[in-house]
Amino acid sequence: MMKKKKKLGLVLTGVLAASMVLSACGQSNNGANNGAAANGSGSDDGGAANNQAANDAIDTSKAVNLKMVMLGPKPADYDQVFGEINKQLKEKVNATIDAEFLDWSDWGQKYPLKFAAGEDFDLIYTSNWANYNDQSNKGGFLELTDDMLAKYMPQTWAAMPKVKWDQARVNGKVYMVPQNQSKEFTDKLILYRGDLLEKYKLQPIDSPETYQAYLEAVAKNEKGMTPYGLEASDTKMHNLDKQLLLQKNNWFSVGDTSLAFKVDDAKGQVFSIYDTPEFKDLLTYYKSLADNGGWSRNALTNKGDTTGDFKAGKVASMSHNVTALGGILAEVDKTHPEWKATLADLTPDSHKSAAISTQNGIAIHATSKEPERAMMVLDLLQNDKSLHDLIMYGIAGTNYEPVGDDKFTKTDKYGNFNSFSNWAWNSPLNRVDTTYPQAAQDVEKKWAAQVFHYPLETFVFDNSKVLNEVTNVGNVMMRYGVPLEYGLVPDTAKGLETLQKQLKAAGIDKIKTELQSQIDAFLAKQG
Amino acid sequence: MMTEKRHSFWRDVAKYRTLLIMISPAVLLVLLFSYIPMAGIVIAFKQFNYTGGVFGSPWAGFDNFKFFFQSGDAWRVTRNTALYNIGFMVLGNLLQIAAAVLLFEVGGKWFRKIIQSALFLPYFISWVVVGSIAYNFFSYDVGAINNVLASLGMERIDIYNTPAYWPYILVFFHTWKLLGYGTVMYLAAITSIDTEMYEAAEMDGANVFQRIMKVTIPNLIPTFIILALLAVGNIFRGDFGMFYNVIGNNGMLFSATDVIDTFVFRLLMNTNDFGMSSAAGVYQSVLGFVTILAVNYAVRKYDKDRALF
Amino acid sequence: MQGLSVRSSRQKDRLLLSLIGYAMLGVMAFICVVPFVIVLSSSLTDENTIRMNGFGLIPKVFSAEAYRMIFEYPDDIVRAYGVTLVVTAIGTALGLFLTAMTAYVLCRKDFKWRNHFAFYFFFTTLFSGGLVPWYLLIVNYLDMKNTLAALIIPTLVNVFYIMVMRAFLAGIPDAISESAKIDGAGDFRIFLSLILPLSKPALATVGLFLALGHWNDWYSALLFISDDKLMPLQYYLYQMLGNLEGMRKAMLSSGTDISANIPGESLKMAMTVVACGPILFAYPFIQKYFVQGLTIGAVKG
Repeated sequence: MMKKKKKLGLVLTGVLAASMVLSACGQSNNGANNGAAANGSGSDDGGAANNQAANDAIDTSKAVNLKMVMLGPKPADYDQVFGEINKQLKEKVNATIDAEFLDWSDWGQKYPLKFAAGEDFDLIYTSNWANYNDQSNKGGFLELTDDMLAKYMPQTWAAMPKVKWDQARVNGKVYMVPQNQSKEFTDKLILYRGDLLEKYKLQPIDSPETYQAYLEAVAKNEKGMTPYGLEASDTKMHNLDKQLLLQKNNWFSVGDTSLAFKVDDAKGQVFSIYDTPEFKDLLTYYKSLADNGGWSRNALTNKGDTTGDFKAGKVASMSHNVTALGGILAEVDKTHPEWKATLADLTPDSHKSAAISTQNGIAIHATSKEPERAMMVLDLLQNDKSLHDLIMYGIAGTNYEPVGDDKFTKTDKYGNFNSFSNWAWNSPLNRVDTTYPQAAQDVEKKWAAQVFHYPLETFVFDNSKVLNEVTNVGNVMMRYGVPLEYGLVPDTAKGLETLQKQLKAAGIDKIKTELQSQIDAFLAKQG
Repeated sequence: MMTEKRHSFWRDVAKYRTLLIMISPAVLLVLLFSYIPMAGIVIAFKQFNYTGGVFGSPWAGFDNFKFFFQSGDAWRVTRNTALYNIGFMVLGNLLQIAAAVLLFEVGGKWFRKIIQSALFLPYFISWVVVGSIAYNFFSYDVGAINNVLASLGMERIDIYNTPAYWPYILVFFHTWKLLGYGTVMYLAAITSIDTEMYEAAEMDGANVFQRIMKVTIPNLIPTFIILALLAVGNIFRGDFGMFYNVIGNNGMLFSATDVIDTFVFRLLMNTNDFGMSSAAGVYQSVLGFVTILAVNYAVRKYDKDRALF
Repeated sequence: MQGLSVRSSRQKDRLLLSLIGYAMLGVMAFICVVPFVIVLSSSLTDENTIRMNGFGLIPKVFSAEAYRMIFEYPDDIVRAYGVTLVVTAIGTALGLFLTAMTAYVLCRKDFKWRNHFAFYFFFTTLFSGGLVPWYLLIVNYLDMKNTLAALIIPTLVNVFYIMVMRAFLAGIPDAISESAKIDGAGDFRIFLSLILPLSKPALATVGLFLALGHWNDWYSALLFISDDKLMPLQYYLYQMLGNLEGMRKAMLSSGTDISANIPGESLKMAMTVVACGPILFAYPFIQKYFVQGLTIGAVKG
């Protein structure tokens, strides 16, 4: 009865938007690869020497107004903060920025349209979860050559480790300026209720077995509380999977498929996760948890949010990355100190991986009329202390209180500015929130020492030749794999068999061959 | 011969000039906003990139269609889509006609107003909200239904993990949502029936039920046929809003609830490929087109004036 | 004797019909009202309570926080209501007129090309170029970005309603048009003075649908409006919700926390109520066009 074709579009919009943001948190591993940051130390590639010469050669006599597209709603204090930013930019490089904001609710739809319609803008936020690879392949971004970067972004060129640039390569070319953040880890961990641990006299949690004990105790004794907040998501592997499967065995999963390789395998041999005995064992583990009330039997459909549930006491443990859990921990300690919320790493001895640089960044529109000035502005925003503080936190004293050089506390006006994707400029100049709990900082410190470097960390899978197979494998994983991982399939052996069969029909072997050949070529080139 | 034809054509134009002028605004609007964008269907056959745009991008033949047929599920989801739409149409219209007839015959002014408004309420509840409420009802652990069952000492049913229930549930939801909307349509049709026909029937000795069957219902058939024909063209388009918000990513239920739109959505979830999504749309359009041509032809044979075109 | 027994059996029939009618309609209305009561009640329930206990028929813990959030910037929401009202009024009036006029032409049996035009219109419901050409046309070629026109004109005419209207108008006897023509009246005059007054139920119905379509349309605004002052109500609400959810999820990855009691579920419910409130108030007043009968015979005279 309604205009059905429009209806498809209109719900697709909202859903696409929601799903894209959802996948943001879980998907930092997918698409591109792992990177270990060479901590802090800048390793440059020969361009730094051009610093002085470059500045002399650039003509900034023409005043330029740049248009920048960001994700998220327009901040309330936009005029004040950007007014300040533009004042400084005008002094330094005779440029100003006009920012346009794509709300979280519609950016999924609007973002590609801006390119398709050939709109006029210079800078735009991009990231691997905002389909950076796709947009590059379609010709949306300007290629940033080493020369250009050295000339127009000398500070960034000097400060950014080569590894980060390499992670941002699509077909060998760089199309974005990635974030220069080395502290973010993609590994997941658990946040649980210490008071319940004491109540049932359980061992501290540091392995799948101790965690299972905790979950079973809560399931049996705490009616009305769900032991683990298993999220319903669009990703093919839920957070527990990531810990117990990928992190525990040091596997790296590629390209949103079931293919992976061992991180310490020098030859990078590719295998399907579903083929492994580890996976089979894990399925039994999950099934027993699901059957014993470890999580809701309807977790697959529940669209609630586990964070809120944990804070409200409805859920007894949850998992996420360390930065997110740190924030939650800080808050829960304030509201419910009696809960003794604690962080737990289920795989304390595994290798850790730092977030890939393409997690956040900025790209230049392929048809921008002022790419040089745009790059210079980017350079300053990421590396100039006062500009960086402005764009990341707002106006000192109003939106935040600086504490020394490297810390800050939020004021009640923090939300007036920090509503959009300014994480694009993450850099060593970032300030640390003073309320960030010590426990989380300890985890980060411990993990920093466990970061593992390996030759394939800058490898990016190009799936354009096997796109049809990849889409179908993804569908099979969601349909047959995810229910198994949620422990909902009554006969796990049979379920696994069906999964394998469907995977073959979807063309997993073709992807495997393609992936292996790309890996082999990559390793060969590295020497 | 040719000149005669040409003459008669222009003569017709002159003869119908007022009618043509009357229809021209709509014709122009449709030309501008429906036919011109239709040219974009070529995207389905191209490797769309931003530098080439719609017309400059390289051709890809039928490559963009391959992903849909790759896994062998294409037939299943197509069948599901059509079956669901038929179910919606049949049950929906049946209940709407029943409600309209009853509203017309029974009760006083206030009763009718209240009931009509009540029936319209579901229309305003978005599928997102319906999905949430459904979860509250059907959930295994805390859902209302299972709570009632448990308090009666019975076993809980895991509705969200049992595909068999869902065709019924979904048809019910869809019917429920559009009940008020369709009833209005049929009510308008009923009130347009010449009351003289009722009097004639009564004089022939018909009782109320016979009057309804012999006068009211037959006069609603034309409306039903039009609505059915309009629905047939879209029989291969699933109500994405409903399926996505109520079922979500629950793989356990896909065998019974996957329609073309949700299937394609899942496949293309992580790629921004305009070409592939356009190809899926073309598939649905072509199938619908062939179907409506056949059905409209059949209806024409039966009664020329009842056909759509 | 005959008359009496016929009358009493008629009364029995009437009674039976009334029974069936009240029962069926009552059940249907009940099934339709209960979820809405849940929506209303949840919109006034504290978010935490919803999280712990789910939805209910009566608010266990009262909280108007969701409504406070929606009306936090009263200027904005009043303006949004205003935009929606203007768009709906103009869109419906214009659209209804064009729809009726087009439908009339299509149902004139003496119009040789009526089926050709019908096909011309209907074909557009089958095939569509998709989002990209639509967007390019309206933004690049017609330059309608950030105008009220973009909210009204592209969706002005809906083929579905033209067809439905045509079906209704076909019920008006040809004799009326023909006798008017014999009297020398032109097609347009016949349409205006004879057909329109006779088709009040049809006009009311299609008018209602057109109005609802415009009232609920947030998609056009999503695509074409970035100017705050031109945002219609539904889009304003949709953005509010989307921003909250998206922000919550995205902020999580950067570790910023958000206070626990921001309404989520209750906000969705409150939005439903706010969005449909005005329509539900207005509906009883336009109902009279549906509920009354219309005698064609009376017009003949």
